Amino acid sequence: MNKSWIFVILTSLCELLWIFGFNVASTWWHWAIIIPIIVVDFWFLAKACEGLPTGTVYAVFAAAGTVGTALMDVYIFNHTFTPIKVVFICVIVIGVMMLNIADTLSEQKQQKEAA
Amino acid sequence: MGWLFVILAAILETIGVIGLKKYSTTKNLMNAMILVSGFGGAFYFLYASFDYLQVSVAYAVWIGIGTTAAVIINMIFFGESKSIGRFVAVLVIVVGVSGLKYVS
Repeated sequence: MNKSWIFVILTSLCELLWIFGFNVASTWWHWAIIIPIIVVDFWFLAKACEGLPTGTVYAVFAAAGTVGTALMDVYIFNHTFTPIKVVFICVIVIGVMMLNIADTLSEQKQQKEAA
Repeated sequence: MGWLFVILAAILETIGVIGLKKYSTTKNLMNAMILVSGFGGAFYFLYASFDYLQVSVAYAVWIGIGTTAAVIINMIFFGESKSIGRFVAVLVIVVGVSGLKYVS
């Protein structure tokens, strides 16, 4: 277990926190909390990328953000989902993950060839 | 309207990423401006889109378009690989985004 995974989890959590913030913020001091969370989010993301391939980090990050916002919609904002919407959201996540994993694999291949 | 905001947010996000790339090699005011205005604008329009769209729909579309645009720009301007896997993945994202647009 790579220590960088802790940063992946932290960055995903921060992402969900500021998105939640965007939806509920109403006064200036809410924004005074949200903006530092965005900055910290980027910092955790950068730390995670130091120890893991960027493609992998981003794939996990995007998937966690999408699943997290979907849960937020249902349990906090009382939105409803049609099954077809869930299917298309999953399709987007799969595409983003494929893209990033494909990049990581080709990077590793290049490094092997260079070595 | 919400869709327009999400698309603008994704495009600005991509501009921010380009700024980040340029700023990491050349630290000048111009590149810093591209970086800050790109990300700043992206967050602003994402925020605006939440008034019209479900959070998860807006987020998924933002991530999908942002990632796709970044890959296409990297392929064209920064000479990254144009493998079949990447094209298929972009196609999958486009299908997902258009489908979601169609049912929302």
